[in-house]
Amino acid sequence: MEALIEWARGPFFWAALTFMVLGLLRHLAITLWDIFRVLRRAGDKNMPYKQIATNTVKWLFPIDKVGNRFVLSMTSVCFHIAVILVPIFLAGHIALWKRGTSLSWPALPNLASDILTIIAVISAVAIVIQRSMAKASRGLSRFQDYALPLIIAIPFATGFLVMHPQWNPFPFNVMFLLHVVSANVVLILVPLTKISHCVLLPLTQLVSEVAWHFPENAGSKVGVALGKEGEPI
Amino acid sequence: MSESEKKNYSYYVEQKTLDVTDRPRKFLQAFAAVLEHGSYGVALDTYTRVSAKCARCSSSCQLYEATEDVRDIPCQRSELLLKVYRRYFTRSGLMKARLFGGFTLTDEYLDTMAEEYYRCTACRRCKSTCPIGIDHGLVTHLARWLLAEIDVIPKALVVATREQLEGVGNTSAITVPGLKDTCEFLEEELEEEYGIAAKFPIDVEDAEYVFFPAVSDYLLEPDTLMGNAAVMHVTGASWTIGTGNFDGIDYGLFYSDRMMESIVNNVVDEVHRVRGKKVLVGECGHATRSAWYIPTFGGEKPPEVINCLQYAYQALKDGKIPLSNRKIEERVTYHDPCNIARAGRITEEPREILKMICTDFVEMTPNRAENYCCGGGGGTVSIDEIREFRTTLMGKRKADQIRATGAKYVVSPCANCKKQLKEVCEDNGLDEVDVVGLHDLLLKVIDFSDFQIDKDESSEEGETDTPAEMQEAAVNNPTETESGIDSE
Repeated sequence: MEALIEWARGPFFWAALTFMVLGLLRHLAITLWDIFRVLRRAGDKNMPYKQIATNTVKWLFPIDKVGNRFVLSMTSVCFHIAVILVPIFLAGHIALWKRGTSLSWPALPNLASDILTIIAVISAVAIVIQRSMAKASRGLSRFQDYALPLIIAIPFATGFLVMHPQWNPFPFNVMFLLHVVSANVVLILVPLTKISHCVLLPLTQLVSEVAWHFPENAGSKVGVALGKEGEPI
Repeated sequence: MSESEKKNYSYYVEQKTLDVTDRPRKFLQAFAAVLEHGSYGVALDTYTRVSAKCARCSSSCQLYEATEDVRDIPCQRSELLLKVYRRYFTRSGLMKARLFGGFTLTDEYLDTMAEEYYRCTACRRCKSTCPIGIDHGLVTHLARWLLAEIDVIPKALVVATREQLEGVGNTSAITVPGLKDTCEFLEEELEEEYGIAAKFPIDVEDAEYVFFPAVSDYLLEPDTLMGNAAVMHVTGASWTIGTGNFDGIDYGLFYSDRMMESIVNNVVDEVHRVRGKKVLVGECGHATRSAWYIPTFGGEKPPEVINCLQYAYQALKDGKIPLSNRKIEERVTYHDPCNIARAGRITEEPREILKMICTDFVEMTPNRAENYCCGGGGGTVSIDEIREFRTTLMGKRKADQIRATGAKYVVSPCANCKKQLKEVCEDNGLDEVDVVGLHDLLLKVIDFSDFQIDKDESSEEGETDTPAEMQEAAVNNPTETESGIDSE
């Protein structure tokens, strides 16, 4: 068991983290390159950058957006805050980073981390329930839409039990292994699934605008490519 | 109209649509060509990666509000095309298909797309509620183009475009003599009703503005055009209408970038032909949005584009349009055409004008960039056979909005919106509401006292009306009275 834990928190973690970072960098690089390519070819290069920036900030911090479907929105906001803050600012995680890399940064108080962890787990379950209860989202949902919040909740739930052995009914090592492995799985899933919006979201408003900026002669070039130039309508 | 022409879709298509074979392959071929030469790839790539399927967009779509049918959720509709993109144009999709089989593009799937993408008006309201920032209007726009390349296009749209690009030269098939007759008639009306010698200058070279209204205005909206001419007259503007092309309508925006490019280029060519400087677009939302593509398609030194609302507002602000003491006293509300308001480009100018000329202007809620579509956007207003769909399911929300304002006049500076809103009012029991253009009202309150022509000359010229013209005037303009105008 000890060897397994060491493997999970050692090579497996580094492999998962590297996979996530490289995967997200690949997404970013591809998207940025495509944006650059579109802008270079666009017949009209004037872009409403201010409006794009405003919309981007409004959606990164959606304070004035929660009125629409309030309960679902608030659940989602709570979930996002918790899953972003806890893994990065948990004192225990920072201590591990410091031991392994000498890097360190301010930590959340443990109580705050505990509360956020509980929020992460509860809101993940709530998201799944709300998704399955509402006709529109139920109709749209794929397997991953139900599975991902629950998979993300596992390292939070297990991490909480690891941090609070008095409430943990299972052997510590098993819970610890489960925590590390599930966290590693989440890291791997980040670039492979819709969670990749964690790096792409700042670009999506820009993407949606640049896509309307066609190259000069785009239409006629498509006509030529399809052998339709001069063809009657 | 034979039933066979309608059997696959809720709209009529041409026989050749039903004769196309090997459609999935041709669709994918077109898709590949568009990805190579267009700008859509970056959006599809991003959307397929991050689409969260949260369904928040459902709460902003007036169609889903009315039907509560999952297929009408914007995200669900977009997924139809994203699924094809993912399967055939991404490495992971190709690999999955090789390993596990799965989705294959079929004729039936294309028919589903053909139906669904014309149940969307591409109003883009849902973009403002998508946390991810997906522009479902963009996906609809692209999907319609791809469908058009396998000849799936509503007959109403393709026939009009054919007339514009290969026929008479405009979507309403108005001949040049017909245009001149109409302009003369409108000039006479302006002289008779308002005592001014406003002209519709034809083929004047070196004019500052070349005028491109929705050409249907020449048939259906004489008051709007007279308002346009009156504004240009009192401001002393140098403007003209080119007989080579006088149609701002561009149905290419609704179904094919190939067509849109050709139509936009024809506008630019006409401006160059008469050596004009700027494109002045009439009261038409999609004509304005298409004209905003002039810098894209219009080559080097493309002409500047200005909408007539922007022109009128600037002229009013500069004191170039004298207003009488009479104002419109009936309650007036304003419908924002999606094509000029969704991106926030023209929202304040019309409101400022209305506040100057009306005593009781009220807003619809929501409005501006958050407005609801009239229900006939994306060219669907031209498809008469789906009127019931447009005015009940699509138009219900708009009818409720209009009713809530209690307005007598609904102002909408868009030919398509006006047609749709008139039908919405007819089909939803709003018989007392008049749908008008903004220049229709502006015309009624301009102070023409400094522009009056010599009375003798006026009465002499006024007698040139033929009985047929008088009858046409009555038909075209049944409400042409002083009703709606009161003295302060």
